[in-house]
Amino acid sequence: MGLNNVMENESISKELEAALESFKAKTNQAPEGYFDQFEARIVAKIKAKEQLTSALVAPKNSASIISIFRAQKKYMVAASVMLIVATGYLLYNQSATNSILKDEIVAIEALPDAVIEGYINNNELVAEVEWNTAIETAGADVSFNNN
Amino acid sequence: MTDQALIIQFQNDDSKEGAFTQLLKRHQETVFYQIKKMVIEHADADDIAQAVWIKVWNKLDGFKQESAFSTWLFRVAYNETLNFIAQRKRLQGQAKQNYLDQAEDQPASSNALKETQIQIKLERAIAALPEKQRFVFMLRYFEDYDYEKIASITGTTVGGSKANYHHAVKKITELIQND
Repeated sequence: MGLNNVMENESISKELEAALESFKAKTNQAPEGYFDQFEARIVAKIKAKEQLTSALVAPKNSASIISIFRAQKKYMVAASVMLIVATGYLLYNQSATNSILKDEIVAIEALPDAVIEGYINNNELVAEVEWNTAIETAGADVSFNNN
Repeated sequence: MTDQALIIQFQNDDSKEGAFTQLLKRHQETVFYQIKKMVIEHADADDIAQAVWIKVWNKLDGFKQESAFSTWLFRVAYNETLNFIAQRKRLQGQAKQNYLDQAEDQPASSNALKETQIQIKLERAIAALPEKQRFVFMLRYFEDYDYEKIASITGTTVGGSKANYHHAVKKITELIQND
């Protein structure tokens, strides 16, 4: 082979060739049955690694974690439900009130001026009577004549 | 069945293990002996070979078959061997490997047979080579791989592989003649 061409001394070359063959023979040795068992060892090792990996990814028998809020859990759930209901109720009422006021404003604005004036004129007397009744009930003298 | 067909089978979960074991049976000896030529010690070669095949199991799904399986496999073996040697050097805090120390500890002149002396010199010379040159030398000299395949395995150019081989040969020759 290539190495032999480099060697000038033929006797050394032959010896070296023999040494290289000896080296090859020495390194091409394995204990008896080594390759028969090698496959089984590798497969076992791969399976063990895969089991370890899957166990690390999803631990099945890990220690149970006890929450410090476990005892109060039902109260917390009840409070949450009540909070949700109350918030919902308030929001619903607020939106309903807003819609009523809005409707009223729109309705008054939509009325013709003549209708509004008529309403005020018709109810002026009622308003005065109500004031007088209230004053009399209170027993106060509200006449402008101080004598 | 070809390596290509086995790789396709490997990518199917049902036949994965069967395809893998067939590939392993087919190539385990070549890979192991190549590794052993690099590290000499059986236990070391065994550790590296196991790491190689576990890596094959993990990475074969991503193998796109752009090269032959054996080329890819030898590349995995090459990388694992270099990693092992680098790790060993770091752990031992020394530049030389165990077997090189052992080879150096043996007095060459104490052996009666000249062939054995040359054998010891050869082992020392091989061990003194940089890892890449050593790997290229083993693939070329013992496995008779062409430079293109060696270049694919070692991640270098064809010219680089040729240069590595010739440097290795030159160094071995010089070390044996000058020892």
